[in-house]
Amino acid sequence: MNAITNLSPCPTPHATRGLSPDLSRRHFLGVSGVFVLGACLPGCAKTPMPPVATEAFLPNLFLALDPDGTVRVTSHRSEMGQGIRTALAQIVADELDADWSRVVVDQAQGDTKYGDQNTDGSRSILLNYDRLRTAGAAARLMLRQAGAQHWQVGLDDVEAKNHEVIHAASGQRLDYGALAGIAATLPVPETPPRKGDAEHRYIGKHAVHVDAADIARGQGTYGADFRLPNMATAVVVRCPWLGGGVKNILKQPASAPGLVAIEVLDPSASAGPVFNPVGGVAVVAEDTYTAISIARDLEIEWTDSPNSTFSSENLQAELRAALAQPGTPVPGSEKGDVDAVFAEGMTELSATYETPFLAHAPMEPPVAVADVSEDRCVVHGPLQDPQSARGLVAAWLGYPLENVTVTPTLLGGAFGRKSKPDFALEAVELSKRLKRPVRVQWLREDDIRHDYFHASSAQYHRAAIDESGHPKAWLERTAFPSITTVFDGGATMPAPWELEMGFSNLPYKVDNQRMESAGIRPGVRVGWMRSVCNIFHAFSANVFADEMAAAVGRDPIEHRLAILADDGKLQVPGMQPPEGHELDVGRLRHVMERVRTLSEWDRPRAEGTGLGFAVHHSFRSYVATVLEASIVNGRPKVSNAYVVLDCGTYVNPDTCTAQMEGAVVFGLSLALHGSIAMADGAVVQSNFHDYPVLRMAEAPATQVELVPAQGRLTAGVGEPGVPPVAPALVNALFAATGTRHRSLPIKVA
Amino acid sequence: MAHKLNVNGRDVEADVAPDTPLLWVLRDHLGLTGSKFGCGGGYCGACTVHVNGSPVRSCQLPVSSLADQTITTIEALEEQHPELVGVWVDNNVAQCGYCQSGQLMSAAALLNDKPSPTDADIDGAMAGNICRCGTYVRIRAAIHQAAERRSAGGIG
Repeated sequence: MNAITNLSPCPTPHATRGLSPDLSRRHFLGVSGVFVLGACLPGCAKTPMPPVATEAFLPNLFLALDPDGTVRVTSHRSEMGQGIRTALAQIVADELDADWSRVVVDQAQGDTKYGDQNTDGSRSILLNYDRLRTAGAAARLMLRQAGAQHWQVGLDDVEAKNHEVIHAASGQRLDYGALAGIAATLPVPETPPRKGDAEHRYIGKHAVHVDAADIARGQGTYGADFRLPNMATAVVVRCPWLGGGVKNILKQPASAPGLVAIEVLDPSASAGPVFNPVGGVAVVAEDTYTAISIARDLEIEWTDSPNSTFSSENLQAELRAALAQPGTPVPGSEKGDVDAVFAEGMTELSATYETPFLAHAPMEPPVAVADVSEDRCVVHGPLQDPQSARGLVAAWLGYPLENVTVTPTLLGGAFGRKSKPDFALEAVELSKRLKRPVRVQWLREDDIRHDYFHASSAQYHRAAIDESGHPKAWLERTAFPSITTVFDGGATMPAPWELEMGFSNLPYKVDNQRMESAGIRPGVRVGWMRSVCNIFHAFSANVFADEMAAAVGRDPIEHRLAILADDGKLQVPGMQPPEGHELDVGRLRHVMERVRTLSEWDRPRAEGTGLGFAVHHSFRSYVATVLEASIVNGRPKVSNAYVVLDCGTYVNPDTCTAQMEGAVVFGLSLALHGSIAMADGAVVQSNFHDYPVLRMAEAPATQVELVPAQGRLTAGVGEPGVPPVAPALVNALFAATGTRHRSLPIKVA
Repeated sequence: MAHKLNVNGRDVEADVAPDTPLLWVLRDHLGLTGSKFGCGGGYCGACTVHVNGSPVRSCQLPVSSLADQTITTIEALEEQHPELVGVWVDNNVAQCGYCQSGQLMSAAALLNDKPSPTDADIDGAMAGNICRCGTYVRIRAAIHQAAERRSAGGIG
C-alpha cells in the first residue's frame, strides 16, 4: 500500500514529490494545471483536492501512475525493431484512456513474474493483448472509483477520459495523477469492463514509436552502447569448427598498452547445454580497438573435434540423397492412395528444391556487458529472452536466481539470433575471472562464422495433375538438419513443429497425399531465424504449385484459388491447433484475392517483366505477395512488391506495414544473395562482402494492404511476411523469362 | 599518444594508438556512441560520420589521419538538419534503428550536395548503408520529404 503523507487539502505543487526527479517539470505543470482548473469550476470550494501520493499507483505489473500523472508502462518484451514497446503501451493507454503524450515506457528485467518474456515466434501481442487491456481497464475503473469516493458520488456518475476523471453533474474533474493516492488504496478488480472495439483510441491506430526520436538523434542505447565504470572490453577468437579447443597459443604479446588479460575459454561447453559459449581465446583490454588489434595478431593451434571435417556441400548431397527414397511418413498425413494414382499415367510433375544455410546477421553483432561480484551478477545486453538468460547465468555461476539481474537494452536487430545468449555467458565468465565489469564485443566475422545457422534444406515434390492443373496425387518430402539437433544430442529427425511450418499443412484440396521427412545431424549449430522452416517449405510448395499452373497454361492465381481446400478450418495431420489458431482457408483465399487486385495482376506489364505470386499462412497470419521482376544487366531486378496481410486484430497498423516492407527486403536478401557454406568445419564467409544482404538500389517500391480484422484473435506480424517472398520472385522470373529457378539463392546464368 | 581532433565543433584529445579507427575513438574515448560498429570493414555504413562535410566510414579512418579535419557525428546532426530528424521520426523510418545513425549521416551529405535528389541520386548516395530490417523504402520517402521541407522552409 502506498503511504499518503501529505494530507493538506489544497497542497501546493512544490509540496508534492514525484518518483522521478527528471519529471519534476512535468509534475509541476500537471498538478498546478489541475488545481487552477478546479478552482475555476463550481464545486471546488466544497471538495478539496485529494491528498497527493508520494509513490506511484501500481495496480499491476505493467502499469504505474506517478503522482504527477505520468503513466509508466512496463515492456517485458524486448525491442528489436518490431515496435513492441510502443504497441504494449498503446494497449494499456487505450484501456486506461490515458493522454498518449504522458505515457512513457520502462523496460523490464528478466523475471518470471511477468510470465513469458521470450520475444520470439511473433507472439508478443497474442500473449499480452488481453492481459494488458485488462491491466489498463482495471486502473481506469479504480481511478473512477477513486473519483467517486473523493466526490462522494455514485460510480455511474463518474467517467474517466483522456487522463481525467470527470463528474459531469458538478463539472468537477481531476487529473489521473491527483487520484493516484486514493486509487492505490482500492482493491484491484479482476474483470473490469473493457472498451468495445469501436471505442479504441490507440489500438488499431497509427503511433510514432516511443524510441523513434532517440534513435534519430543517435541516443538509443543498444547493447553495444551500454557502459559500466571500470569496464573492460573483450574480443574472443573462436575455433573455426564447433567443439575444437585451444591446443597451443603460438603467438601472443607478453604485454601491451591497454591489455588486461588473455583468457582461454573452455570449448567443452559447446557439447553441453545448447546456449553455452563455444570457447576460444579472449583478449580483454581497456578499450575495444586494443582488444581487436591484439586478437587479430594471435596465432592459435586448435584441437580437432568431430565437426572439424564438416562440409555443407556433403551435407547438401546427403539431403538430396535422402529425398530419393521414402522418408519417415508424417503420422496421419496419408490420404487415399498416392501410388495407385501415379500408376494411372496422368500428367506428372516432379521437382527438387534446395536452400542453403543462412546467417542472421543483425546489424548489431552480439554483445553483452556483465558485472559479476562475489555473490551477485548484473547483465545488460540485446537479449530476446532476458528471463531464460537470467536462469542460464545463475546456473553458470551457481548463484541463486534472485542474485542475478538481466536487463535488455535496445536490440540492434536480432531475427532469432539474440534469443541464444551464448555471448552473454562469455561476458559473465570473463567478468567473474577478472573481477571487474566486462563487455564482450563480437566482430562481424564472429557473428557470421559462429551463428546458430538457419538450416539448409531440400524438398522433393511429385504430383499427378488433371487437365486443369488440379493435383490428384501429391507426394512431398522434406529433408533438413533439425533445430532439435542442438537441444538433443541424439536427435536427427525434424520435429512435428518444424513440419507444421508449411510442410504438413498444405492448404490444397488433394485426395491422395503423402508427406515424408528425413533429417541429418549437421556439424554446426542450427537455430531459428525469422520465420524458421516456413522459409524453405513455403518456397518449395509455392514454386511447385506455380509449376502445376504453368504445366497446363493456367493463370497462377486463378489456378491456386481453384486448388485451394474448401473454406473453413483446414484439417491437418496429427494434433489440431488450438481454437483460433487453425488455418482458415477462407481468410487465405481472401488475401489471395486482395493481392490480385492490389497488384493489378491482370494489367499487362512491359515485355520482359513478370509477375509472381505466393501465399503462406504462418504464425497465425495470412500473407499473399506479388512481386514484379525482370532481368536487368544479367541480374534479377524487383521493381514492385505488393503484400496483403491478415493478422487479425492489429495494434499499430503502421508497424504491421513496416514489418511487411522489411520482410520483403529480408526475403529478397535470402532469395538473391544469402548463402553460408562450411568447409573443413569452418564457415567460408565472414562479412558483408561475401555474405551480402539487400541494399537500397535493390529494394522494390512496396505496397502493403492490411485486412481489416479488428475483433479477431491477434496474430504474428514480425515473421509471416518473409516466407512468400522468395517463391514469389522465382515465379515472377519464370513469368518474365521462362526459366524456373529451384535453388536459392537465385543464380541467373 | 595524444591526437587532437575537432568533433562536433569542439576541440578534443584522444590518447590512443595512431592506427585506432575514428569509430573507436568516438565510441570508447569520447563517449559518442551514436556512430555504430556494424562490420569493421567499411561494408555496412553504420559508422558513417562526416569529415569536412563528406560522408566517410569511421571504422576505416585511422585517427592519425584526422588532424585539422572537421568531424561531425550523428550527435550534432539535428543542429544542421532538423528536418531530417523530423521526417525520420514522423515516418517511423527506424525499425531496430541500429543502422539509422549512418543512414542519416549519408542522407544529410546527399542533401547538402543535392537539395532535390532523384531516386537514382538516393540509390547512389545510400549504396554504402545496409539496413537489415529493410527500411529502405521509408528512407527513400523520408529523404524526398526532407528535401521538400528544406526547400519549403528556405533551408540550404
